[in-house]
Amino acid sequence: MAVNIRRLEEFDETEGFDCGDEPLNNYLRRHAWINQQKSSIGVTYVAVDEAAPGVVLGYFTLAASSIPRGRLPKKLARGLPPYDLPMILLARLAVDQRFTGKGLGRALLAEAFRIALRVADEVGCRSMVTDAYRDKIEWYAKYGFVPIEGASEERPQKMFLDLRTIRKAMQSR
Amino acid sequence: MALTAQSKTKEAPQRARKSKFQAELAPPEDRMVRALKAELQMTSNTDFLVDALTLFRWAVSERRRGHRIMSEGASGERKILVFPRLERVAPELELPRVDLHWSEREIESLTELAQRQPAAPTEALIRAMRG
Repeated sequence: MAVNIRRLEEFDETEGFDCGDEPLNNYLRRHAWINQQKSSIGVTYVAVDEAAPGVVLGYFTLAASSIPRGRLPKKLARGLPPYDLPMILLARLAVDQRFTGKGLGRALLAEAFRIALRVADEVGCRSMVTDAYRDKIEWYAKYGFVPIEGASEERPQKMFLDLRTIRKAMQSR
Repeated sequence: MALTAQSKTKEAPQRARKSKFQAELAPPEDRMVRALKAELQMTSNTDFLVDALTLFRWAVSERRRGHRIMSEGASGERKILVFPRLERVAPELELPRVDLHWSEREIESLTELAQRQPAAPTEALIRAMRG
């Protein structure tokens, strides 16, 4: 199976997508295209098989975000530049259950990293943040994401990855 | 098959220098090159490489300008070229902005993490970026 990863398009087949998590299925089926095209609050990239290029096998959504400088603790923010703290948000990542265990999640994550580096080159940014389900914390940690302390146990875990770490990984290829 | 080609690099004042390009091709790609050369009636690897390079360079410049590359059939059917490496130069890589809810403790933790020296990449990350 040869897989392409590209931006979501209007007539992509998303109705049959099932990653086993209804909010993630529902986001792709109902909201991803509208958010990307009309609301501009996230760009979704999809993995498709070259043999069936309209059928979505997996996806991730990226957005830009930042924390206002005024909210950063003064004591800790001294070493940072005097601006808001920009970040790239990996908002969602999911793989259809029929295609798990084939390295698709890893391929999607790697493509998200490449895009993050490109965006960082264009607009300046140093970190990537994701909101991981509790049972996926270890999976993200494997790729270098570090838990951000302070979230309640009932909520997804925010995790941090320095883009310079990804760049180092690129250079050590 | 080892595909070799020679091309001019920079014109020296008195003598043109050529650089050598060599690539080891797996059998499927080797067959593809041979078939394409036959179809295009090309005999030289250099001509083949130069033409391929010209086409690739054009595709990159079009995608960088935000233009989509498509083919149109006789009946008007259109197909858009989607090529992951080309998508990386497309200008629509700019991302929309969203605001997240952050607790004070999360912001403190994030600020600490952002101040640190970047961690060394994990083996899994290095392997992922090789793909």
